[in-house]
Amino acid sequence: MSRIGVFVCHCGENISRTVDVEQVAQAAGALSGVAHACDYKYMCSDPGQNLLKKAVADHNLEGIVVAACSPRMHEKTFRKAAASAGVNPFLVEMANIREHCSWVHEDKAEATAKASDIVTMLVERVKKDKALAPITVPVTKRALVIGGGIAGIQAALDIADCGHQVVLVEREPSIGGHMAQLSETFPTLDCSQCIMTPKMVDVANHPNITLHTYSEIEQVDGYIGNFRITVRKKARSVDMGKCTGCGVCMAKCPQKKIPNNFDRNLGTRPAIYVPFPQAVPNTPVIDRENCTWFKTGKCGVCQKVCGPGAVDYTQEDELIVEPVGAIVVATGFELYSIAEKPKGSPIKGYGEFGHGNLPDVIDGMTFERLASASGPTGGKIQRPSDGKEPKQIVFVQCVGSRAREKGISYCSKICCMYTAKHTMLYKHKVHDGQAYVFFMDARTPGKGYDEFWRRAVEEEEAVYIRGMVSRLYQKNDKIVVMGSDISVGVQVEIEADLVVLATAVQARSGADSLAQKLGISYDGYNFYSEAHAKLRPVECATAGVYLAGACQGPKDIPDSVSQASAAAAKVMTLFARDELEREPIVAKVVDRYCVGCLACKKVCPYGAVEEKEIRDRQGTLLKVVAFVNPGVCGGCGTCQATCPSKSVELDGYTDEQIMAMIEAL
Amino acid sequence: MNNKAQQLDVTPLVEATYYQAVTAAIRSEAIRLLGEGKVAAVVGYRAGRRNNSALPAIVTSIDQVDQLIFSPACVNNLALYLTKAKNEVKGKGKLALVAKGCDLRAVAGLLGENQLKRDDVHLIGIACAGVYGAEADRGLPLCEATIARKCRECTVHEPQRTDAVTGILPKLKELPHLESEELARLEAMTPKERWDYWQAHFARCIRCLACRQVCPFCYCEQCLCDKNRPQAVESSPRPAGNSAWHIVRAMHLAGRCSACAECERGCPMDIPLNLLNRKMAKELKELYAYEAGLEPQEKGPLTSYKEDDDQSFIK
Repeated sequence: MSRIGVFVCHCGENISRTVDVEQVAQAAGALSGVAHACDYKYMCSDPGQNLLKKAVADHNLEGIVVAACSPRMHEKTFRKAAASAGVNPFLVEMANIREHCSWVHEDKAEATAKASDIVTMLVERVKKDKALAPITVPVTKRALVIGGGIAGIQAALDIADCGHQVVLVEREPSIGGHMAQLSETFPTLDCSQCIMTPKMVDVANHPNITLHTYSEIEQVDGYIGNFRITVRKKARSVDMGKCTGCGVCMAKCPQKKIPNNFDRNLGTRPAIYVPFPQAVPNTPVIDRENCTWFKTGKCGVCQKVCGPGAVDYTQEDELIVEPVGAIVVATGFELYSIAEKPKGSPIKGYGEFGHGNLPDVIDGMTFERLASASGPTGGKIQRPSDGKEPKQIVFVQCVGSRAREKGISYCSKICCMYTAKHTMLYKHKVHDGQAYVFFMDARTPGKGYDEFWRRAVEEEEAVYIRGMVSRLYQKNDKIVVMGSDISVGVQVEIEADLVVLATAVQARSGADSLAQKLGISYDGYNFYSEAHAKLRPVECATAGVYLAGACQGPKDIPDSVSQASAAAAKVMTLFARDELEREPIVAKVVDRYCVGCLACKKVCPYGAVEEKEIRDRQGTLLKVVAFVNPGVCGGCGTCQATCPSKSVELDGYTDEQIMAMIEAL
Repeated sequence: MNNKAQQLDVTPLVEATYYQAVTAAIRSEAIRLLGEGKVAAVVGYRAGRRNNSALPAIVTSIDQVDQLIFSPACVNNLALYLTKAKNEVKGKGKLALVAKGCDLRAVAGLLGENQLKRDDVHLIGIACAGVYGAEADRGLPLCEATIARKCRECTVHEPQRTDAVTGILPKLKELPHLESEELARLEAMTPKERWDYWQAHFARCIRCLACRQVCPFCYCEQCLCDKNRPQAVESSPRPAGNSAWHIVRAMHLAGRCSACAECERGCPMDIPLNLLNRKMAKELKELYAYEAGLEPQEKGPLTSYKEDDDQSFIK
């Protein structure tokens, strides 16, 4: 290849600030095989692309190097431009002089020299590129949604309403998630259950939705359009087909003293239980850890009283394989606890608040259960220690959040609003009570949000104190709250009956291991990362995996629902086509040298490697070699790196190309 | 480096009658197998021309069976004959293989790497007390003075997963672990000292590739190091290419090496290659509780991913 064009982009000032782009273009023009080199302010813009197309025509270019941003950003753009100018799109290479160079260096001379080196390497690489044709693969028009909270439910319903099959997997015995636990929702104070439960029923009744509750993702194989998901259906000990949901087993279970997790351990439940009366599916599950039968082998009451004979102690975990084409991850969040953290953990607890050992210091979700009509107190605000109605209640915001010294620097986003809501719910139930709120700022962007907060302050008489709380301790039957009011610069001490902490929103524990199964990336707090913060906010960098809700970062209900519908729209875009065009960057085995050790088959994360027999004309087996199925290969190159005799080559990344790039330095 | 005969015990580790019994057992098994047509050939050892030496022997008929022997001079790892590198032997049909513990570890590795089917080989396992070291005085019996370094810390004296077992070993005397001691000495060095140590050894390498030819795991049809387009490893014996070759060899054997130490025995320049092998095996054992070749495995720790894999090396 002797007619290569090099196009150097300024990226506004992103590159040209630290790299002398004209010098890079000039140096590139002098390289052997380069027929044309130029620079332009925005190469990805329309005029920039036209510049490229015109240069192809004028100089009869055979290969193109665009020195600009990461290939993740604009490789597709320039491939398309090249194709429309008649150059095979796989003869286009991106020299990343932005992320790999200008953004990370300060010295202009050194950065310019490095940019030139990067361009030189890519020129060598493009010389050995081969023209490739895209591979098409069929799309399985079936989606997996992980997590049955409001985000997962919304995404599942949207995709199912569009006519596609959806598999919804939920870890708990019922769908509903955190929203099912809430009493009322901001900024309209409508009852959470009232708007949530109909959606849960819709999921259960939808002909296109297969629901797996009490189930977890065991394994993820395959790639966009063709995933194979192994779901572990945990043993429920109740036959879902036979159970009518009559509830006799729960009423008769002699073991009733198990703290009810759904009610934040305020009430109790039996060992055979549904988490809450509106559960979907309304089929109980036996908590084997606490069940007398499973602990001692004696009891069996639930089995005896069950009319349809649905209780089955011998049930075992079941593994189901579901073929799907797209995955929506909606695993939600969990709340930070002020309890002491294990030694060495980067996140710290709050010893100054008693590490969670003061019964009348509770978190926001516990307050939701106290205020909920379906909660353990029937909606009466009663403090956990003695059941008394609190007359002075203190809310503390930013517990864990925005507290770098405690290990979390981000804002949990929803606490300002739900604390304002809590003060109102409290005032509506305890008319002679007084609510105090310690806060840093009130962050209320959102439709109707600031009005809602003003209402709490101005009409519902919540006293907002700008300042932090330094210590909480028990004094007789009161909790003494020691804080400061920085607006007037005084120390404040309040003897409260109940203290509610707005604790931080954290990623689910185990979020990292699920991410590793899915092959998606996550940040330092284990929140899942989107492909682009602004332009691809619901897609993962891993093709075919989309995000919805608080698993990506703290979000309220309206945001979670909108994002779920957005993720559903992305899935439907994918399903709108019967076949998917895939990059032809796939591995190929050189039969002549392959010795059939199949190390490549062992390491292939896509299951793309098969055994191939090589026979002579008489049909005698000569040898068995590896064969890479191009439809399944993800082009990751693991096989290439593993092959001891280097008999596997990845198109576009051959050893010859990599060596040529190194030698060019 | 080598055993110093004058300072060491020369009491025999096993009686001479043990070797006679093993030899007789191998011969009778060979006669049975060849007679019944169960195998096309028996791969074993025969006596060499020099005093107390032995060579690999491929016996295809009953009248050749008398050649077969077993003695401390039977050092070779015959699993080599089961690989594609020796297709002229493998092509004869089903083979019977006389195999010591370390040879059997290589067989297990080859089974796991798809190079062999268990039904294609009849394994005559030998309960082995050890073999002569490279510079042993062949006038002496197998004793502390003559035993190979690798055999001093052998963990596979008794053969496993074989079709027949020959020999009954007495309780063997515990000998000092010279290789482990040497390895500990290297591990205590600074990286610079260690690098200099290996550079000095590798600088002497003449790239005869005997270590490769004798290794049962070097069965590639085209070795990466013979590739010249692009060339990954310089082929002439110069320091950079020598180091590259020995690093490639050690890495390619990590998690696979059966610790037969044939590479070290074959090396005309006395490079202590088995120290590299032993270090790799030690790392695998410490990080993944894995020992190669004890069972035929479909996947070893280096070709599989588990969520609880040690990741402390990622910094």
